[in-house]
Amino acid sequence: MMKKQTDRLLAIWFIVTLFVLAMIFLFSPASKFSELENRYLQAAPKLTWDNLISKKFAEEAETFVTDHFPKRGDWVWVKSLSEQLRLQQENNGIYKGKDGYLFEKFTNPDPVLLTKYTDTIKAFAAAHPDSDMKFLLAPTSIGLYPDKLPWKAPYDPQDKVNDAAAEQLQGLANLTFMNGFDVLMPHASEDIYYRTDHHWTTLGAYYAYEAYAKQMGWTPHPVTDYDIKTVSDSFLGSYDTRGQFSLVKPDSIEKYLPKQPVGTSVYVADTDITTDSLYDDSYLAKKDKYSYFLGGVHALMTITSDIPQGEEDLDKLLVIKDSYAHSFLPFLTQHVKEIHVIDMRYYNGSIGDYMEQNGISHTLLLFNTATFTENGEILKINK
Amino acid sequence: MVFSSLLFLFVFLPVVFLLYFLSPRRMKNLVLFLTSLVFYAWGEPVYIVIMLISTVTDYSFGLLLDKPEWGQKRRKAIVVASVIVNLALLSYFKYADFAISNVNALLGIDIPLTELALPIGISFYTFQSMSYIIDVYRGTAKAQRNWIDFGTFVALFPQLVAGPIVQYNTLAEQLRERRVTMEMFAEGVKRFIIGLAKKVLLANNIGLLWHAISDADAGTLPVLTAWLGIIAFAFQIYFDFSGYSDMAIGLGLMFGFRFNENFNKPYTAQSITDFWRRWHISLSSWFRDYVYIPLGGNRKGLSKQLRNILIVWVLTGIWHGAAWNFMLWGLYFGVILIFEKWAGLRLLARAPRWIRHVYASLLILIGWVLFAFDELPKVGDYLGAMLGLHGRPLWDDGTVYYLYTNVILLLLLIAASIAWKKRPVAKGVEAAEKSPSPVRLMAGFAWLIVLFLLSVSYLVDATFNPFLYFRF
Repeated sequence: MMKKQTDRLLAIWFIVTLFVLAMIFLFSPASKFSELENRYLQAAPKLTWDNLISKKFAEEAETFVTDHFPKRGDWVWVKSLSEQLRLQQENNGIYKGKDGYLFEKFTNPDPVLLTKYTDTIKAFAAAHPDSDMKFLLAPTSIGLYPDKLPWKAPYDPQDKVNDAAAEQLQGLANLTFMNGFDVLMPHASEDIYYRTDHHWTTLGAYYAYEAYAKQMGWTPHPVTDYDIKTVSDSFLGSYDTRGQFSLVKPDSIEKYLPKQPVGTSVYVADTDITTDSLYDDSYLAKKDKYSYFLGGVHALMTITSDIPQGEEDLDKLLVIKDSYAHSFLPFLTQHVKEIHVIDMRYYNGSIGDYMEQNGISHTLLLFNTATFTENGEILKINK
Repeated sequence: MVFSSLLFLFVFLPVVFLLYFLSPRRMKNLVLFLTSLVFYAWGEPVYIVIMLISTVTDYSFGLLLDKPEWGQKRRKAIVVASVIVNLALLSYFKYADFAISNVNALLGIDIPLTELALPIGISFYTFQSMSYIIDVYRGTAKAQRNWIDFGTFVALFPQLVAGPIVQYNTLAEQLRERRVTMEMFAEGVKRFIIGLAKKVLLANNIGLLWHAISDADAGTLPVLTAWLGIIAFAFQIYFDFSGYSDMAIGLGLMFGFRFNENFNKPYTAQSITDFWRRWHISLSSWFRDYVYIPLGGNRKGLSKQLRNILIVWVLTGIWHGAAWNFMLWGLYFGVILIFEKWAGLRLLARAPRWIRHVYASLLILIGWVLFAFDELPKVGDYLGAMLGLHGRPLWDDGTVYYLYTNVILLLLLIAASIAWKKRPVAKGVEAAEKSPSPVRLMAGFAWLIVLFLLSVSYLVDATFNPFLYFRF
């Protein structure tokens, strides 16, 4: 008797759950952008013959349902909680480390691939013999803090990758390789990396600037030349978004304001908009707070500084970079009048042509080891 | 489409329920047939043509076989023609490139490969289709005159893409006349949720461990990590595949079908003979009924029997994939089975239970190494790592990490391998089982809800969701 009732209950519960969730999904408005994940969500797929045959419709529909599933964030949180309860120390490729640090797994690149990348850079340097080049390869946090990984967690030592790159890039006439480990290791005990995000902090960027300035033969400004201001203390970065661990302490974001400021203007070629600030306050209210620096990723931008005539260290500099440069570049505005900034993930023109057209003879390549070895965008540099 | 996707659970399935339960009895098969075609076309919009060719061919051949005035010779020719059509489709899409690349390598020539993707489920539906023709020929089933019923049999979405392989004679009656009772539907929900949880919570997660270990160069693996890796793979493939079968059986029940069981606690096997009675039962039965016995089985002397066993196991091997390692895997089991028939089982019978269990488990694990890598040198490297031939230590930090971060999962996997299904119970106990206490019933209900919601949360999170058995 009782069995019959539970059977009925189970059947009804199952059907109701499926239908109710389907209905909520169907009738809730589809948002275009996920603040949580910091990305655009899949738009409703278009039913056309071509889309059907090429499976595009099926794939997009699948992603559409997953992307717009009701209460997505809560489900993801439940999954992460269950993973932690079963003693798993990682979730979606993110380790929950010690002292509040989250880390992204780093895998050694195939040595053949690494050689291909450094060969590309060698070729780039050789193709522009009159240009002075620096290549700063910065570690990501897992490279500097393997001791903060979960107990006994295996890892690929990132410094070996930087050492290999250093060896392959030594003895070039016009390119100097700067190993980020040499620059940052002495400061490892300071807060030079965000605990919840994949970037370095402004302090980390400062030390990189200090080393770069010395390498260029400039006099770097000491820290005491800046007013350090905390602009946010609730930054939960990309590692947190992916890992979704409970009880994560947010990071704070700092801005280094020169006590003797120079005026700057930032021209973003992508949108054809010029602003006079290196910082975009609107991002501090959003999830993606690192985009406070320079307003996030752009394919091409130009930063002009009003350094009094004759006081500049350099007239023009081209920076080919990933997002590590965003908190680093403000420091350079006190030395260089015109900084051209290219992100190769989005810029499709020829870099050689760009240098020629703009009369640029100094270049800085700034990447972190993970982006440099993982996406292969660098191969486009000789285009 | 796969069962373990939000699209299936919250879009496709509700729509099918609605259409199926609202339509009149005589329309139900048509609903199932059409929705099954949508289900299939979802992943294979073009290849659905191949499935339809196979279906139409066997439907027509079935009708031809139904002419009693035709002689035995003609009937035999029809069966042969049907088998040729099905095997031709299967060979062309599944084995052509394997054959070409071997011929190329052997003769040093360069015939271009077809580079065709494998149509989903082709290994399953061609086998089902053939079973129909052979059953009708043998007279164990009547030819199906209703094309909708026949189409439903071949395309039936619950078991279309990964089995269980349903033999026609077990389903013939149900296609014509079936009823869904509340008890059946509830049983189906139970089986489906358990299958979903096996796939999403157990298989996918232990699969991550296998991937972490197998991605590394086998030459660098400590001995115990290599063992942990292949154990992880063994669990992954079992819970992936049996989870899929459970979902298929559960969905079948919801629509009033009873499919045969496909697994019976295979990792409790006491010998390899025992293992193959418990693993992928629908495939072993198919080969037994349609290959081994027709070849003469064990009735024509020892040498014929040996030959038959080897043929069946080489075929079983390459059924799983067009590569040498699969053939070797099949042959490996063929040889062990022959050994067990000849002496092994008698010897084992004298050994204590735990020795039999260790014996079977070791051979199964070594089998999985053959199965897991489709390049033979990698098989050798991995076996070398397990045997400690690479001069690596017994364990390292990684071993400890993999173990403690997966210890709870591993315990759950072991428990689920031993006791997922109820054991046959003594008569007195059985009576008690029939009317379990209300508390137990509600606890079971709550448990299913937790499993379902947890599975959905993993699905929402997942990008890691491939069905392993789609390759076959």
